[in-house]
Amino acid sequence: MSYRTKQSKHLRTGLAASALALCASLASAAEAPITIVINQSPWFPGFQTVVEKYEEETGNTVNLDVNPFAGSLEKQRTAVRSDESPFDILIMNAGFFVEFYTGGFIQPLTDIDPDFALGEDIYTFDDSVCWNAEAKTITCDGGELLTVPVNPNVLILHYRQDLYDEAGLTAPTTWDELYENAKTLQTNRRYGISQRGQRGTFDVTYDVFPYIWSHGGGIVDQQEDGSFQVSVNSPGTLAGMETYLKLANDVGHPSTAGQTQTNVIQNMATGRAAPINSVHAPGLFDDDSKSMVVGQVGYAPPPGTAEIPSATPLGHWLAGVPKNVSDENKQAALAFLTWFQTDAAQRAYAEAGSMPVSRAVLESDMADQPEYRWMKAMAEAVPNARLTFTFPEATQVLAITELRFNQAIGGELELKEALNTAAEEITKVMQDAGYDIPAPELLQ
Amino acid sequence: MKTDTFWRHATLWPALVLFALLTILPLMKLFALSFHDVEWVNREAVWDWVGLANYAKLPQDNLLRAGALNTLIFAVVAVALQMLIGFILALLTTRVVRGRVFYRTVFILPILVPGIIIGAIWKLMYSYDFGVLNSVLVALGLTPQDWLGSPDLALLSVIIVDVWHWTPFCFLLLLAGLESLPDDIFEAAKIDGATRWQQLRHITLPLMLPTIAVTFVFRMILAFKVFDEIYLLTGGGPGTSTEVISFTIYRRFFTEDQTGYGAAMSIAVIAVIAAGIIAATRATAGKGAKA
Repeated sequence: MSYRTKQSKHLRTGLAASALALCASLASAAEAPITIVINQSPWFPGFQTVVEKYEEETGNTVNLDVNPFAGSLEKQRTAVRSDESPFDILIMNAGFFVEFYTGGFIQPLTDIDPDFALGEDIYTFDDSVCWNAEAKTITCDGGELLTVPVNPNVLILHYRQDLYDEAGLTAPTTWDELYENAKTLQTNRRYGISQRGQRGTFDVTYDVFPYIWSHGGGIVDQQEDGSFQVSVNSPGTLAGMETYLKLANDVGHPSTAGQTQTNVIQNMATGRAAPINSVHAPGLFDDDSKSMVVGQVGYAPPPGTAEIPSATPLGHWLAGVPKNVSDENKQAALAFLTWFQTDAAQRAYAEAGSMPVSRAVLESDMADQPEYRWMKAMAEAVPNARLTFTFPEATQVLAITELRFNQAIGGELELKEALNTAAEEITKVMQDAGYDIPAPELLQ
Repeated sequence: MKTDTFWRHATLWPALVLFALLTILPLMKLFALSFHDVEWVNREAVWDWVGLANYAKLPQDNLLRAGALNTLIFAVVAVALQMLIGFILALLTTRVVRGRVFYRTVFILPILVPGIIIGAIWKLMYSYDFGVLNSVLVALGLTPQDWLGSPDLALLSVIIVDVWHWTPFCFLLLLAGLESLPDDIFEAAKIDGATRWQQLRHITLPLMLPTIAVTFVFRMILAFKVFDEIYLLTGGGPGTSTEVISFTIYRRFFTEDQTGYGAAMSIAVIAVIAAGIIAATRATAGKGAKA
């Protein structure tokens, strides 16, 4: 047999096998293939694993389009504004999902299937899964169900349990306790704390929320009558930021203004940081190929003050189906979201190193196992978690706070000046967008 | 002759039409967008005419001002260093015959490396805790530096990366220019007793001026458009210390979704760069004529 004939035979055999495999796959798949646009975050590998599990169990195909944080937002915007979205599920962050709700881009899930409902044990995360289009309000009271949460992404305190035990310390519940513990554990080779301070899309702003909320401050607060109040230069925010800076300057990393989430996690994984206040990446610190502190990290809700307990911002992720995809793909997307909410899927999600959105799993027997010891802290933190921004101009406000907080942390601006500047700039953004907001009273 | 003219036009027009479709139309769309604010309501884009309001906002934009200043510093310092080092390297190697394929390959390696990898390499090297630069400083008993996190050092650190990345580009163009210079002039100069410095000052530099000018203009255009190195290394921070114009446009246009304002910013920057190129070209043409 000549080489050409052999090659031709192999080609024919290969084509036949591929055709058979395709037929088998089409026969077993109940739904159309779908594509999910998602960001690359520490919890992504867990999500990828459950997607693979879904494909194995159902025969359905799910493609993942993975992007950096800002890149994912841009792709989602472009997709929903086109005639037909290439993505059947958008994974939207707490910092920008409102823009998609108010723009009318997301299909109410009960329009796809009137019987669809959020599982009883699935967190609604401050009702962020619902939208009342008439009242333009985030609420499940009269609002329609638009999304299913896929990741809680709340901040929790990660601390070196072994060092704490050695020094006879307990997990701090206040910033003062955290400061004292950090001073005790700080050495030439180990930072008392490592904090994210770099300017990004929703980086330093996200991480300072526990400090400013627990001191009674905020950035832009929604009042009971639905109006907004700029609070970024309130005395509470000032006190919160002073606490952040005290930790950064006295016991923190020398380059806090340049620290990204990756740096902070690296510092913990390499034993360079005693505690970090970070979103959780459960699989990471107990994986001996990535961590030098396997089994040594303890978890607790973020500290607060004596007056106001821990309050963590919701940096969670929500899955929504765009209106501009075919009915067949909407059904397929809903099939995945229905499966994702099941107890088995949520347990698999946790086992794969991500954080479940089911209360039942967070509070299950899994939480008693050493590898899932973070679940108790998470279950304690989630009920106190709050939405950060509830208006579509959030990305413009974030651009301001990311810069001004970073300048204050890096010493480029004095703290009061940074907060006053931010207040004036945010007020202008909100006024230009049509909100009735008074000029801010400046800190003296 | 008539047939020649017809075919010349017939072959030129498709390219011109394609150029118009791909370049001029998007620019016109961007120009139109710059006079509007765009809002999305019920999946529909609502264009509100705002006249020159977007342009009027430009001078008050703190981020744009910082970006413009940093871009200017970045472009001038980085390109000046690249031209200087590139020219010295070209002078040193132009007469080398042995191993020229090897050294030229080695010299152009940095241009071949994708931006994302350059960002990763230098971010690791600059890392405060794990970077090789700080490891060396500590080994020498010196204090580690916050290369990317300090407002005083961050822009310089980014410039160093750009110089490393783009000096080979200048080197290659300048080397090609040097190798195309006629040997007989240098031989005549030697016979007349001209020193190496005199040859460089009175022959090489004047003859090289057009090549130097073209290389300089190319690099300045590219330096004004710098984005990937900043995005990967510092994200424009700390504060505004490495903010550059293209990054500001990216933030305003894409991240903040201020498309009308972002378009006005883009048009303004295009106009400034175009004016700069025209001025540089005219100046070069004048010098070239004198030379």
